[in-house]
Amino acid sequence: MKTSRMLGLVMIAPAAIIILLFFLMPVILTAVFAMTNMSTATGISAGAYQVTQAAVNRLKTDMPELAAGISEPRFVIDEDGLTQLDALKLKPGFTAELRASHLGEVFLSRREAERMIKSLKERPSTREVKQISDVFNRSVMNTRFEDRAALMESLAKLGFKLSPQDEEKVSRATYTGWIWTADNFRTIANSQDMGQILLNTGFYVAVTLLLFNVGYALLLAVTTHYMPASTASVFRAIWLLPRITPVVIYVLMWKWLTWDNGFISLFMGLFGHPPKNYLLDSAGSAWFFVILINGFIGASMGMLVFSSAIKAIPQTHFYASEVDGANRWQQIRYIILPQLRWPILFVTCYQTLSLLASFNEILLSTRGGPGRSTEVWSLAAYHTALQNYTGNLEYGLGAAMALVLVVVGVILSLIYLRVFRYDTLVTKPLIED
Amino acid sequence: MAEKTAVPTNPASANFSGLPVIGLLTLLSLPLAVMYAYLFIDTISNSQGGSLVPSEFTLEHWRFLWETRPGKPNIWLVTLNTVIFTCCITAVTLTVSSMAGYVLSRLNVPARGFFLAGVMVLHAFPSVTLIIAIFIVLQYLGLYNSLIGVILVKAAIDLPLGIWLMKGFYDTVPWEIEMAGVVDGASRFTVWRRLVLPQIKPAVMALGLFSFLSGWSEFILPQVLAPGARVQVLSVYLAGLIADDNNFDFGTFKAVGVFYVVPVLILYAFFQKHLMNIYGGGTKG
Amino acid sequence: MRILLDKFCKSFGTTSVIEDMQLEVGSGEMLALLGPSGCGKSTTLFAICGIHRPTSGRILFGDRDVTNLPSQARNVGVVFQSYALYPHMTVEENIGFPLKVKRLATANIKQQVAEIAKLVQIDNLLGRRPGQLSGGQQQRVALARALIRRPDVLLLDEPLANLDAKLRLEMRSEIRRLQRETGITAILVTHDQVEAMSMCDRIAIMNKGEIVQIASPSDMYNDPRTAFVAGFLGNPPISFLKGRAEQGAFVLRDGGLKLPLPALSGIADGTELTLGVRPEHFGVAGGIPVEGRVTFAETQGRENLYDVVLPDGSVLRSIQPVRDDVKPGAQVRWMLDSSSTFVFAEDGRRL
Repeated sequence: MKTSRMLGLVMIAPAAIIILLFFLMPVILTAVFAMTNMSTATGISAGAYQVTQAAVNRLKTDMPELAAGISEPRFVIDEDGLTQLDALKLKPGFTAELRASHLGEVFLSRREAERMIKSLKERPSTREVKQISDVFNRSVMNTRFEDRAALMESLAKLGFKLSPQDEEKVSRATYTGWIWTADNFRTIANSQDMGQILLNTGFYVAVTLLLFNVGYALLLAVTTHYMPASTASVFRAIWLLPRITPVVIYVLMWKWLTWDNGFISLFMGLFGHPPKNYLLDSAGSAWFFVILINGFIGASMGMLVFSSAIKAIPQTHFYASEVDGANRWQQIRYIILPQLRWPILFVTCYQTLSLLASFNEILLSTRGGPGRSTEVWSLAAYHTALQNYTGNLEYGLGAAMALVLVVVGVILSLIYLRVFRYDTLVTKPLIED
Repeated sequence: MAEKTAVPTNPASANFSGLPVIGLLTLLSLPLAVMYAYLFIDTISNSQGGSLVPSEFTLEHWRFLWETRPGKPNIWLVTLNTVIFTCCITAVTLTVSSMAGYVLSRLNVPARGFFLAGVMVLHAFPSVTLIIAIFIVLQYLGLYNSLIGVILVKAAIDLPLGIWLMKGFYDTVPWEIEMAGVVDGASRFTVWRRLVLPQIKPAVMALGLFSFLSGWSEFILPQVLAPGARVQVLSVYLAGLIADDNNFDFGTFKAVGVFYVVPVLILYAFFQKHLMNIYGGGTKG
Repeated sequence: MRILLDKFCKSFGTTSVIEDMQLEVGSGEMLALLGPSGCGKSTTLFAICGIHRPTSGRILFGDRDVTNLPSQARNVGVVFQSYALYPHMTVEENIGFPLKVKRLATANIKQQVAEIAKLVQIDNLLGRRPGQLSGGQQQRVALARALIRRPDVLLLDEPLANLDAKLRLEMRSEIRRLQRETGITAILVTHDQVEAMSMCDRIAIMNKGEIVQIASPSDMYNDPRTAFVAGFLGNPPISFLKGRAEQGAFVLRDGGLKLPLPALSGIADGTELTLGVRPEHFGVAGGIPVEGRVTFAETQGRENLYDVVLPDGSVLRSIQPVRDDVKPGAQVRWMLDSSSTFVFAEDGRRL
């Protein structure tokens, strides 16, 4: 193999491996997990079989008799029990007689079992009958079976005769681990909440994008263009601060601005308004601040992209339009904006993706509140899978919600790739070896 | 000729005054200025309830530096974790993307175009949506609640951007330099290491700076993947402080915040131009 | 319309570019601002069109003081060196832009654009974009855009610099034709003396922010006021000999050449002088024989150009009708027409 090719493969390997393991694999696994019902309850590794009260309840509708049977103890004359009888110091022939005449028999209730015991030749005392029947008391309730065969074997010993279909139903009802299912998507498609969250997301992305990531960014880029360079760079530095500042502190500052004893409350107090938490006061004000918080961060990228695009317009175009008689607004309208068409498209594409996925700021500020009024899709996925108050984290459902974003993300980034013609960026190496 | 050099090449036109736009932006920037000003003021002062004017100087908000709060990890341990976390991410991102970027820019490897397209898609891809799957993967791998796990994840997520940027930087290095090196008998590796890499030193520094800031500021990944007290980083520590304190003590929050943000602001002040280039080139957020 | 720059000064920050310039351009006149790059000619042009404001002094269009008027209110047409055509607009939109920002009716704009396009002969290109035009066509669009609102003044900033040699020749006469036909007052900024001489009624030569001389092209060529002017005009350029005055004659430093010149009467002996000799005045015709060795010969087709090194090492240039007998290295004895030479004092002043 050519040495440069070998070197190339070696040098690109670390990047390829890390990206594959921690970036591409999660993409695929998101799809995989989305097809399961993984949650805190099922755990993430393989589960076991356990006849819990909940499992019995699940069986009740389909197989009421079996459900009733499983939930009651049965009495089985088996070797285990017979061995234990030794400890009770009964009459010598009793155990032998029981083994000889009744080994393997199943009694549906304590009464039946004790009647049988009493009917034996070596009849024990009443106190002993109770002890003996206790020894043969068998139940699968709340017993953990590592695999399905063990559960079925136990059920068979208890005298339950199950058809293969029944076995399937029982094992499904009693399995504690996660299973493959498409329920998550059904939940997403049918849930009223999801519709509302979808609306929230659309509103949030559209409004933030329009007002700030593009609109306000344009305002910043255009106004700084009309300033002396040194003043302009001061303003650009100020408006890049929200992005540079770690998000936790940035949101903390907004919280301080909006809480009951915060800046706005104190300021409005001067005009006689009672203090209130402006961030969480109402859905309207929560949205107002959520969009502001995200918008201030989002505006910076557009500002920088548009600024450099304006800088790329030859200075003589501005001179020419001025001697042609254009005023400032006409210059912006006819000279600057038409030449920003591509940068605007670029920023719109890019920031749509970012806004769809980012929930940092909302999580730290309103947590989706008040109520669930500022809950957006990505935050809802996070809440479902990784942090909620009920404590049952539904990884599967959360992954399914994330999968929706992943699919949207992949589609949008592929479009983005086509629009921005990456193929022109691949140049043939000039050194051939 | 002498006076030509002193004259600005593109002086602004005299037809539009800058004053109205400066006035407008100053007004719009006020909220930000107020927030940042009070971030610092509130850490070293107390004010009477209902007033915005500080009434006394105090260092009580900075107690967290020498007193560990019950139920919270020691601030210096957290700081150490943050430094380790950030430095490792920077190192991994720089090393790996400076190699991969070179390959994509210059070397003839199979599926180069495909890899480049992949990098570009991932660069635009909203990686935070993967956090649920990553959480489960780290649980399987036993890397949950460990620094190494979250470092690898964060580095992987930052890599596409890093590779993309480095590729762009390498593209600007003239081929002649490499051709001369090869003709002089150096191997391609030596050419890269000794001739090309020094050319893009400023770019490497800019990317390193960016990685550092990005790692230092990261919140959601450590919050989800390594929330334990032993491996906590500053962002998670501060978020925890704010989240579980019913009695809001903004003075302390802000003191921790300032402690956390100062390195960022210092770097930003010194390397603003580098950072503008990178942030303008397209990042997440 | 007359243009007057009165005590015009311009500085950027602490750097003074132009001090106390006095310049008047007559109505309907085409004036060239000629000078090397950095001499302040573009600065002057930008001040006239209002993109920069004078630091002090006045600018008058006719009797109207426009010193503090913005460009939009001055009614000037400018053709920029790069043409500054708006890439996102068609030719028609480009030309119509000055009228569009005046909010004229669309039909009116269309009609006027058609007229002016016909004048500059691009009426068949109106639907194209600047990127699809050749350099000469772009130039015509820029001219049309500058002329469409019937400006008081037409300013041309190195308009031919980006054209190839043949187009340059064509556009030279084209611009002059348009200027004559419209009768507009025009100022041409250029560093190319051929352009200035061939296109303009008068030339103002600038150096280091000052106007050195204003005159018609032929006056300036035949009667340069300084060595700078003499050196700037003429192609191939004038050659300079260093020497001193001796009894009313110019003597080379090594004494090898002695030229009696009427201009030197009354100049003290030993004064350091520079003698300027145009290449056409050194050759087969003339009064004073000069010996030297040919170091360089170049044919330009109709004429030959020679560099002749004199014994003291100074060089004289000669241009002569084509001849084959002189090769580099040959010793020649050619004639110098002393009556057509210029003598300059040490500070460059013509004597």
